[in-house]
Amino acid sequence: MTIAPDAAATVSVAIGQWAVAGSPSKIRTLLGSCVGVVLYDRGARVGGLAHVVLPRSRGAVDHPGKYADTAIPALIADLDRALRGKSAGRLVAKLAGGASMFTLGPSANPTMNIGRSNQEAVEQILADLRIPIIARDLGGETGRHVTLDTATGLVVVRTPGADEKEL
Amino acid sequence: MSTDEQQLMLRTIFERGAESASQALSKWLGAEVRLTVSAVDRVELAAAAEVLGPPETLVAACAMGLSGPLGGRMILVFEDRSGLALIDLLLNQPIGTTTGWGDLERSAAMETTNIVGCAYLNALAAHLPTAGSDSAELAPTPPVFFHEFAGSLLEFALMDQALELDEVLLVRSAFSASRADLKLDWTLLVVPDRPTLQALAASLSS
Repeated sequence: MTIAPDAAATVSVAIGQWAVAGSPSKIRTLLGSCVGVVLYDRGARVGGLAHVVLPRSRGAVDHPGKYADTAIPALIADLDRALRGKSAGRLVAKLAGGASMFTLGPSANPTMNIGRSNQEAVEQILADLRIPIIARDLGGETGRHVTLDTATGLVVVRTPGADEKEL
Repeated sequence: MSTDEQQLMLRTIFERGAESASQALSKWLGAEVRLTVSAVDRVELAAAAEVLGPPETLVAACAMGLSGPLGGRMILVFEDRSGLALIDLLLNQPIGTTTGWGDLERSAAMETTNIVGCAYLNALAAHLPTAGSDSAELAPTPPVFFHEFAGSLLEFALMDQALELDEVLLVRSAFSASRADLKLDWTLLVVPDRPTLQALAASLSS
C-alpha cells in the first residue's frame, strides 16, 4: 500500500497494489482486464484506488492487493485509518477497467473472461459492504489510463485513440 | 519455470527460433535484420507493466495466440515511429512518409508478424521438449493488431500466468538492422501459458 507522501503528489499504483491519498493529490493506474476500484470520501476529500487483478484469493494471503476479496477490505482499512475510523457510510465507489483484449488463442474461452469476472466480483463485494457505485467505465477491448483527483473526486479515464472521459 | 539453469536452457531454445526468424525477416524486408533473444525474464507481477518501458507509452502490437507444445501468446511490439518505418520500407518509400496506422499499415504489420512468428515457431517446434504436451502441433492463430498502452498490453498478455503466479515469465527479443537509417525499436514477446511453463519445467528438469 502507498500513501501519498506530500501534497500535490501523484501516486502510481502498480498491478495488484493499492494507494490512499488526501487532497490535493492524484492517484493513477493503467488497466487492462484488471479493475480499478476508486473509493472516495467527498467530505474529507480523501480517496484510494486498488488495482484488482483477479476475483478471489481462495485463501492466498501473500498479495492482498491482487484479489478483489482482499484488496477492497485492505483499501477500506487504509482509508479508515486516514479518516480516523470514520469511513463507514461515507465512501462512494467508481469503477473502471475489466476489458477483454485478446479474443484469440486458447484463452479465448468465453467462460474464462477475467475482465468480466473481476467486474462481477468487485460489484458484489461493494454491494455487500453497502458502498454505492456512482460511476462505471467497464468492459470493452482496450486498456484504460485512470486518474483520481482527490481534490474533486473526479476520475479521468483515457483510452487509446479516444477522448478523455470523466467519471 | 523456476531455476536459472532451466531459464538458460529455455533461452537456448528460443535463440534457435530467433535465428530462423532473422532469416525470414531479412528476406521479407529486403534488408539484413537480426533478431536476438535479449532476456528470459522472471518479473514480479507488480513490475511487469514496465517491461516495455514507460507503461503509458502508446505502442502498436500484433498478437498471435499459440497452442500445442508452446501455449500462450507471441506479440510483436513496435514503438510507433519505428513501426511506421517498417511500412515505408515495405512500400519502398522514404522513411518518415507513413504517419499513421491505417488499414494498409495494419495489414503490413500483421503480415510481418505472421512471417516472423511462423519462422520463430517452426524453429521452436523442432527443439522444444514435447513431454507434457497433449497436442503435437505448434499452431498459431492469425495475428491481430492493437494500438494500446504498453502497460495494458502486458497486463492482458500476462493474465493467464497471473491466475496462479505472482512472478511471471516472458521471453524478449530485440531487433537490429544493418542499414543505418533503419532503427528498429521492436520487441518480440513470447508469453508462455501456465500449462506450458509446467511442462517445460518438467521436461527441462528430466
